[in-house]
Amino acid sequence: MKKPHSDQELILNLSNGDKNALYALYDNYSGALYGVILRICRNEMLAQDVLQETFVKIWKNSSSYNPEKGKFYTWAYRIARNTALNALRKTDNLIQNEDLSVHTNKTTAEPEPDYMQLNGSINTLEPHHQTAIDLVYFKGYTHQEAHEVMGVPLGTFKSYIKQALKQLRKTYTKELIWVYFIFEMIA
Amino acid sequence: MEKDKILGEGLLEQYLMGELSKEDVLMVENALQKDAELKQHFLQLQDDFEKLGFENAVAPPFQVKYELQKRLETPKVKTTTRTPLLAAASLALIFMLSAVWLYTKWQNAEKNLESLQITTADLQNRLDNLEQSYLLTSNRLETINNPNVIPLVLYGNAIAPNSKAVAYVNHKTKLVVVNPQGLPKLPTDKTYQMWSDVEGEMIDMGLVPTDKELITLKYIDKAESLNITIEPAGGNDHPTVEQLVSNVIL
Repeated sequence: MKKPHSDQELILNLSNGDKNALYALYDNYSGALYGVILRICRNEMLAQDVLQETFVKIWKNSSSYNPEKGKFYTWAYRIARNTALNALRKTDNLIQNEDLSVHTNKTTAEPEPDYMQLNGSINTLEPHHQTAIDLVYFKGYTHQEAHEVMGVPLGTFKSYIKQALKQLRKTYTKELIWVYFIFEMIA
Repeated sequence: MEKDKILGEGLLEQYLMGELSKEDVLMVENALQKDAELKQHFLQLQDDFEKLGFENAVAPPFQVKYELQKRLETPKVKTTTRTPLLAAASLALIFMLSAVWLYTKWQNAEKNLESLQITTADLQNRLDNLEQSYLLTSNRLETINNPNVIPLVLYGNAIAPNSKAVAYVNHKTKLVVVNPQGLPKLPTDKTYQMWSDVEGEMIDMGLVPTDKELITLKYIDKAESLNITIEPAGGNDHPTVEQLVSNVIL
């Protein structure tokens, strides 16, 4: 789960035009990014195209990444999210021209595909916190759109997010303590 | 103040997602640069966010990486810039070749036109000549082949045997025409001259050069006979009777 320390090195090589650095970063991050893209697109073929396009953009714009401003994953996530939303907008425009919003209110009569299920610490959260994180982090909604979907005021929605993140922080810290404890036991 | 606003309004979470307006982004980035505690908080946020992402990772099919490599290893840029260049080059070549072809065609046409013009001018000339000679001939025929014309043959005497000239006399139009073709050639210092005999007096009618087909001479009223003598070149005022070669009575 933890990526090798050479990420910084890889990113430096990437900005120097090293394609192998890009492929290594792909190996490290494509799964996490594909998880997000797939949940936004809800279409595996489209999601695969978007993932490829995301890494092409990462390659082309590598010089504009500034490690001072944020982590590589944050930067790559933003690219993936925007690429996915744009791709969705294009296909939606082809299907229906009247509705220009990205998230068409599809009636979810059909069962959700497996990949829509969320895993890990998020499942320890309260349901409304889970939904809030899912909408914003995994489905590509803006805070503005998501609070309307949940039917709560924006302020309330923001506090959901904040509480959810606080809760996650606690879970991760506990995990870290356990890992440390086990490590100490072994040593 | 800024820090409170950022934390209070959850701007950091929105900044993380890239949702903020340009102004808010500048504000947040400024605050992050100035405040180490805020920056630490943001780093934590990113860490958790990343963990969340990795917990929900889905392995993409191997095909995607393969396609990505294929796309990056075969530079599209080259092919896209080369194709229009090739197209332009071949178009230019086609234009050049057709220009050369058209130029030679044009030159040929120009040459043909020139030779046609020369031929036409030549034909025009010949036609003019023909017309003139036709007019001349028909004129002559008219003067000769006429019921009012009396043809007279002047046979040569002992001085010039075998010589023969034909005179056509028209008393109505008072015209005398002579065909000297039957007369033998003379040295350049001599010429034939024709005379009319009017009551015993020889009156000059004109010279008779042998290089012409028909010669129009002076018509003399009341002439009794026509006479041809050989005279010095340029003619004579009085006939040299000893050199009379032919005569005919009218």
